[in-house]
Amino acid sequence: MRIKKGLTGLIVGALMLGLLAGCVGKNETNGGDNGGGAAGGKVKLTMWGAVPPENGPQEVVDTWNAEHPDIQVEYVRFVNDDDGNLKLDTALSTGQNVDLYVNYTLTNLDKRIKGGTALDLGEFTDYNIDEKMGEDAASWKVDGKYYGMPTKKNAAFFALNMKALDQAGLSVPTAWTWDEAREYALKLKTAGFKYGLVQHTASYVDPLDSVLVKNGYVKADGTSNLDDPLVTKWLETLNGMMKEDATTPPLGEQLTSKMPVENMFLAGESAMINIGEWLIRTSNNMTEFPRDWKIAFAPVPRLAEQEADMVKSGGLGDFIAINSKSKNKEAAWEFLKWYADGGMMPMAAGGRLPSSNAVDQQTAIDHLLGDYADSYDKESLEFVLYGDETPTFVRSIAQEVVDLRAQEYEKFFLGNQTAEITVQNMVKRHNDWLKQNQ
Amino acid sequence: MHKSWMKRQSRLGYLFIGPNMIGVLLFFIIPAVYSFYLMFTDYKFMSPETNFVGLDNIRRMLNDDLFVVALRNTFVFLLAVPVSMGLAFIVAVALNKSVYWQKTLRALYFMPYITSGVAIAFVWMLLFQPTSGPINGFLRGIGITNPPGWLSTTEWSMYAIDIIWIWFMLGYNMIIYLAALQEIPEELVEAARIDGARPWQTIRQVIWPLVSPTTFLLLITGLIMTIKNFGIIQAITQGGPGNSTTVLSLFIYQNAFRYYEMGYAAAISWALFAIIMIFTVLQWLGQKRWVHY
Repeated sequence: MRIKKGLTGLIVGALMLGLLAGCVGKNETNGGDNGGGAAGGKVKLTMWGAVPPENGPQEVVDTWNAEHPDIQVEYVRFVNDDDGNLKLDTALSTGQNVDLYVNYTLTNLDKRIKGGTALDLGEFTDYNIDEKMGEDAASWKVDGKYYGMPTKKNAAFFALNMKALDQAGLSVPTAWTWDEAREYALKLKTAGFKYGLVQHTASYVDPLDSVLVKNGYVKADGTSNLDDPLVTKWLETLNGMMKEDATTPPLGEQLTSKMPVENMFLAGESAMINIGEWLIRTSNNMTEFPRDWKIAFAPVPRLAEQEADMVKSGGLGDFIAINSKSKNKEAAWEFLKWYADGGMMPMAAGGRLPSSNAVDQQTAIDHLLGDYADSYDKESLEFVLYGDETPTFVRSIAQEVVDLRAQEYEKFFLGNQTAEITVQNMVKRHNDWLKQNQ
Repeated sequence: MHKSWMKRQSRLGYLFIGPNMIGVLLFFIIPAVYSFYLMFTDYKFMSPETNFVGLDNIRRMLNDDLFVVALRNTFVFLLAVPVSMGLAFIVAVALNKSVYWQKTLRALYFMPYITSGVAIAFVWMLLFQPTSGPINGFLRGIGITNPPGWLSTTEWSMYAIDIIWIWFMLGYNMIIYLAALQEIPEELVEAARIDGARPWQTIRQVIWPLVSPTTFLLLITGLIMTIKNFGIIQAITQGGPGNSTTVLSLFIYQNAFRYYEMGYAAAISWALFAIIMIFTVLQWLGQKRWVHY
């Protein structure tokens, strides 16, 4: 009897242990690796990022690993969507091994700082982020501190079909308004394009954020500023382009067909595209998207009358944080500095230009354009990447606000409500949200 | 002696169900109880502090316009269940008789059910394409000058989702109905025929009542499955355009895993649970009137 009872307990216990071990097993093995690091052996770092390894990250870590046998870095990919970020956040908050991770939005970074998983880099004094990365870096500061390092230069721009522009007698603008862009689109459409302008749905709202970063998302009295007149201006301009001019695809059609806007631009269906540096990844793929014309670049147009009132989307990106629970912070820091100051160069071919001034601009552009430098208008590219002095912003509002805005302006572009009602709804929902989250 | 044998037997029994019980406890009961607790807190995933907020989440839910929209969309989504069952019954009756390519047709109807959701999403987005899609092409072909915009309009998007869901559930419902039809004794149909019943009368007054337990089963499981489903909507529209296809389950998913509002999401989950419960109880009570065992 007694033995039997003991045996039952033992089996149940073993089963429980098995279950528990399944949950924490991963941790234990990692702990083992880290322990070795302290004894002077190998340190193993894990870096989480959203770029597929074959588009640069693998080459980056391979190069580092070859030069630094004592600190080996492993790259783990997460997809930069809701599910992917949730996976990273779960890994961070349950203490799985994440030493370095890349943040793509301030919204996500903010959650991770609040969760206590981003290290304040102020404790390292041998690298001045402000000096190295320039003024734009400051938009990533939270409470005046750097909880990571922005490593990439964002560039939002209009890419233009140079041949079409020349034929229509239009010049490449260096600063322009949406009204002017709308005229360009109309002229280019009459010159034989199906559309004058195509955009990614993600870039749609950049003009709105431009306005609201400049004029404030919230008024002085704490209520929503989404009724800024320029918001209505944006709604009506784009709506006119969709419905009156037919120079840009109707939103409904774009959403349901998940329109491949880059392909449309490269195939010559559209003369302009509102995009960013990642276009180059596709436009350099001449086998799939052959073209016999050059691509020129222009800054994103502004809604405001005055050029001085423009703040453009851009700034810096790929904000790499060190997990504050990492056991190898020093090693992670060493790697991070190396990565930012040129180690990341293999990723330039995929459009990720290093933001550190330790990296030569020309080398970066050479990497970016690769073998097809001749198929771009270099002068205008250099202007949108390095010459344009317009101040930049990084979108920092909460996901809820991004979504509620999108839901309302979608209804407007689909013709379900007037611009006036749209603005009213946005303001009401934004105010409700502000109240909920004060 | 006998008693201790019984004891040992039952202990052995517990041992066998033990692993399963632990699974249920860990992955069902504890999370369910925990989510009930979360409903009364402002817990945000990744956020350092959690406060007890009483009924705030429930109050917020009742004042949330989006909750009402999601509730309405959920009911429109549920329309797909009876329609799909009706069609499935007709198809099953037809395929129960010897028709040509009977087996092939059965397999074809069942196909959607075993197809990946993402593949379904992409195919239907192409089919529903408002200007160049084949569905509107066909509608224009038969003289409808202004066919609906389907997924690209807020008025039609939920019905477009319904159509996809009907198509998806059809094969499953049909297979279950087929099984029920095969159970019906040949003599009953024969007797009806000898008594002079026309085929329609036979179906309505003999076959339909005989498969009513199956109808009941499909109705309950279908409603529960539909009310809980969001994968297909997430893949096709993410709740848009506007918020025209945000159903409750998707609303929960967004609040929990997009905004990390776990407390609020837990409150909506329990509301959803209550709705499913009410539905099921009502059907259970109502079944006596039309289900014949």
